[in-house]
Amino acid sequence: MNLEPHLPALQVVVPLLTAPLVVLLRDARLAWWAALAASAMNFAVAVAITGQVLDGAVVRYDMGGWAAPLGIELRVDALSTILLLVVSGASTLALLGGRASLLEQVGEARQPLFMAAWLLALAGLVGILVSGDAFNIFVFMEISSLATYILVAGGPDRRALPATFKYLVAGTVGATFYLIGVGMVFMMTGTLNIADMELRLATVGDTNIVYVAAGFITIGLALKAAIFPLHAWMPNAYTWAPHVVTAFIAACATKVALYVLLRMDFFVFQKNLVDHELQFAFVLMPLAAMGILFGSIAAVFEPNLKRILAFSSLAQIGYILLGASLVTVAGFNASVLHLFNHALAKGALFLAVVCLGLRYRHLDLADLQGAGRHMPWTLTAFALAGLSLIGVPGTAGFVSKWALIIAALERGALGVALVVLIVVSSLLAVVYVARIVERLWFGEPPGENPAVSEAPWPTLAVTWLAVGANFWFGLNASLPGELAQRAGEAFLRHLP
Amino acid sequence: MQAPVAATPVRKPGAMTVPDFLPPGLVLLAGAVLVALTRGGLRNVVVLGTPLVALWLTWQVPDGVVATATYLDYTVQWVEGSAVRRLFATIFCIMSFVGGLYAFRTARGHELAAAFAYAAGAVGVCFAGDLITLFLFWELMAIFSTVIVFCGGTERSRAAGIRYAVIHLLGGVILKVGIESIMVTTGSIEIRALQAQDFGTWMVLLGILVNAAAPPLSAWLADAYPESSPTGSVFLSAFTTKTAVLALILLFPGESVLIGVGLWMVFYGIIYALLENDARRILAYSIVNQVGFMVTAVGIGTETALNGAAAHAFAHIIYKALLFMSAGVVVYRTGLNRCSDLGGLFRTMPLTCACGIIGALAISSFPLTSGFTTKTLISEGAAAQGMAAVYYLLAAASAGVFLHAGIKFPWFVFFQKDSGLRPKDAPWNMGLAMMIFAAACIGLGVYPDPLYALLPYPEDADFYKPGKVLFYLQLLLFSGLAFFLLLPLMKRTETISLDVDWLWRRALPLAWSWAQSSLDAIRDKAVADLHDAKVKLSAWFATHWGGDGFFARSWPISATALWIAALLAAYVLVYFL
Amino acid sequence: MTDRNIHPTPKPDVPRVAPGSDDHWLSRPATVRAAWRVLGVVLGLLVLAQFLVPVKGHFPLENTFAFGAWFGFLACLAMVLAARVLGWWLKKPESYYGEADTPIDAGPGGGDAGPEAGGDDRA
Repeated sequence: MNLEPHLPALQVVVPLLTAPLVVLLRDARLAWWAALAASAMNFAVAVAITGQVLDGAVVRYDMGGWAAPLGIELRVDALSTILLLVVSGASTLALLGGRASLLEQVGEARQPLFMAAWLLALAGLVGILVSGDAFNIFVFMEISSLATYILVAGGPDRRALPATFKYLVAGTVGATFYLIGVGMVFMMTGTLNIADMELRLATVGDTNIVYVAAGFITIGLALKAAIFPLHAWMPNAYTWAPHVVTAFIAACATKVALYVLLRMDFFVFQKNLVDHELQFAFVLMPLAAMGILFGSIAAVFEPNLKRILAFSSLAQIGYILLGASLVTVAGFNASVLHLFNHALAKGALFLAVVCLGLRYRHLDLADLQGAGRHMPWTLTAFALAGLSLIGVPGTAGFVSKWALIIAALERGALGVALVVLIVVSSLLAVVYVARIVERLWFGEPPGENPAVSEAPWPTLAVTWLAVGANFWFGLNASLPGELAQRAGEAFLRHLP
Repeated sequence: MQAPVAATPVRKPGAMTVPDFLPPGLVLLAGAVLVALTRGGLRNVVVLGTPLVALWLTWQVPDGVVATATYLDYTVQWVEGSAVRRLFATIFCIMSFVGGLYAFRTARGHELAAAFAYAAGAVGVCFAGDLITLFLFWELMAIFSTVIVFCGGTERSRAAGIRYAVIHLLGGVILKVGIESIMVTTGSIEIRALQAQDFGTWMVLLGILVNAAAPPLSAWLADAYPESSPTGSVFLSAFTTKTAVLALILLFPGESVLIGVGLWMVFYGIIYALLENDARRILAYSIVNQVGFMVTAVGIGTETALNGAAAHAFAHIIYKALLFMSAGVVVYRTGLNRCSDLGGLFRTMPLTCACGIIGALAISSFPLTSGFTTKTLISEGAAAQGMAAVYYLLAAASAGVFLHAGIKFPWFVFFQKDSGLRPKDAPWNMGLAMMIFAAACIGLGVYPDPLYALLPYPEDADFYKPGKVLFYLQLLLFSGLAFFLLLPLMKRTETISLDVDWLWRRALPLAWSWAQSSLDAIRDKAVADLHDAKVKLSAWFATHWGGDGFFARSWPISATALWIAALLAAYVLVYFL
Repeated sequence: MTDRNIHPTPKPDVPRVAPGSDDHWLSRPATVRAAWRVLGVVLGLLVLAQFLVPVKGHFPLENTFAFGAWFGFLACLAMVLAARVLGWWLKKPESYYGEADTPIDAGPGGGDAGPEAGGDDRA
């Protein structure tokens, strides 16, 4: 049986069906193995789809054989592919390296349920990425969000509970706004298929209701993507979640929401609404710039390690949005590259945090002082991933920052201002990364900590794998570069 | 700023060509890795052997582009040879060898490995055929030179290392932005002569000048070099500033603003060196001074002047390293840095003293030393262009060099007074390294033709005409007279001199704490008025900017709801307008 | 901190004697006076040599008599005075930036109290 045409469906089906299976498995070890296997298979399917997309195809799949636009269509293009790789890769790596940490933080009894929630989250996220149908996206968004709430609340820290509540409220409001927007568009066009919406909106595009719908969709997705100033839920959710969960969702959760935002915006609304590109210039670009600045500044003053990285993510999301809001091929290219490279850098950083979390209870910088001397491999991995975050040549972060500066400079005077912003925030990134490394390496350990040993080798190995990926893709960025280029061209073809 | 032409460079599919020999930069990098991994006798072999292999390979690099590769969708030319590039790479490899000889018995493994990686970056820059490769190796140098500063091992070296890292990162970012701007506006990443006329080229010039230690971007040099270990400072003195000089020769020859910058650097270095008490800091300011000569020469831009810059760089690496080596031996044997603690060491350290004196004479362009046959090319270049003011200033500066480095350094360290210290002389390897370079100083002074043969343009100057020699002897010896007559005015004091880094070491923290305390006061008042609808605005402002960061505290969900509503309204409003 | 201080400062085991206790020929007053006399003779000869050796300068000022001599002397005088003047303004005690210098008599690793722990406001 040839699996090739069914790959998009398999992408979702595999984790979705494994989830209830895992619940039935009472054993923690088996649950972990099953989840890992499903995640790894997911990654393999993503790689296979990448092969197909690189050959030039947009992979299409009609669920149940019902043709679009009446049937539910799955559609995978370059942008979906690169994110599929990120999501499934992050899930696999986090699971692979996080076994010990999850056992410690979630407890053995709850592992099967936790793994089931993980798989549902994964299924939801990849489902969003392969969907070609707006309502389908909503369904998967809800699946992934609900599962993610469970994951975030799963850790031992009680502060996770109010954080989850905030995340829940924000996420639900976001999803609801999205649904309202989609509903309004459905009312006007009679279709839920994205490609079809684009065609039908051409006739009814200029009505007020469509503008309001665009507003609801944008704001709803901005909430889910943690775009400044709607990011309030993010720092706490990242910080108090179990460390392995943070490694997973930091790499992908907000990016998937950004993906939906970009797709709805460029595919559906750009061509059909007059002056729609202004929303980028006047609304999204300033928000992106502010997010970059404030995320970087807040990270400099934070005392908690995970929160520093969370605020850093706020700034990085700002970079991605900035690239997209330039509305040029180069800008989009840079944006997608950064989607990929930031996931690599943040993933590696949070995996190093998983290692630290296995040995230290509290992850405030004051408690972690001098940790590097007991855990040199972990700290070196952290420092190297930090270099990627800063954008040192030879790392993945450099490639996307370079592309972003080039894209900005093509805009003339405004571009120079943006470049100054990027430079300032890069320097701030140096400050907060250096601060962490300096304290952890040179600081005096507080109190009388018993001699701490290095992290267990499986977790360490996966962390170093992620760090290595940063350098690999820093020196040889052909794969993400190719996909980003295609994504840029595809998305900008939809401009008026 | 002109509107940029959206000229993205053509993407060539995978054009990777490899030279049929190993590029010397890669050999040094491999050497660095091997040094880190090996121990004992094997490591010593690697330390001493790798630079010699790299030196031989340098002379295999032909003119023109030799190797290309694809990076970031551009075709980069990562090895390109020419006469001046080979010259600089030669002296860098020689420096690595002699530095390794000096250091291999006392330096720690990571310092040696970092030194070799640093040298690899420098050689890589020498042979970089395009701006991207230049930038990559530039950053490599910055990273590993920072490691060397940290290897000084003290609290002060750590603090200095952090400041060093920050300013070099800043310089790197400025360089990067400039390169990208040039790429966007001209579509080319070739290394060729540019003019500082638009945003991109000015940024590139600034980025290079940071590494060249042009004040006010120079505080890092005198801050960090003396804090490194005795062996580390020898390596540090050679590479960063000279690769900046090479970059200037390749990219901005004849850029007239460099004449002014260079002369400013020359006198800045002299004045600060005269004020200084720490022996190695005197030498550090002397680096700024000497690099100023080279920058002025690049600014003049004629063939003679460029020859002068290259020849001077070659000779300078040798005699500056010699000076740092002799100072390093003193620090190594006594643990003391400051001139006020030293003196009278000639009694027990004759070899170090003699080598230090030879280095001092060389830096002063004393006849029969390498400085005389190389630096004078620069003055000749200025004279040939009729630049009278520049010529006189350079002559005054030569006198000043003798003053602050030629006499001051050896006098205060080795003579001056009897401090009572009787340390042992240099260990055999350090002594041998110093003697090699001392011999080179004299050798190139007596017989400079081998060096002239390596210069980018043909050179047949002969400075041993009686008139020239007499002029220089008069200049230098009367400066010496001035030194001894004015000695009471130059008593060593236990002080430091403030430099531009005062801004971020003192002014910025003060301004910051002032701002914090005033904003705290505002916030306290505003928080008290929070419930009053009239002052909700000031409260928003105050909590926004308050000390513990509005953004760092967890925002209540009600705030988010407010923001959602506000943003949605704003968005829709924009459309209705 | 002590074990990290790999760069030995300052070494307590440097051989020392009481300053001025030995009688090296270079530091005797007689030698110093003789050196001054030799210097004076050499300088005089250099000036007189100008009569024998033609010095052709590039610019008019250079052709004045003993240009190298007086120009060098005056330039140095100017620079030393300038340094002195600027020194009144620029020179500060060594502890100005709060990083303690290791005093000569302290053991290794002494005197490194400083604002290093709170490194947030230091760039």
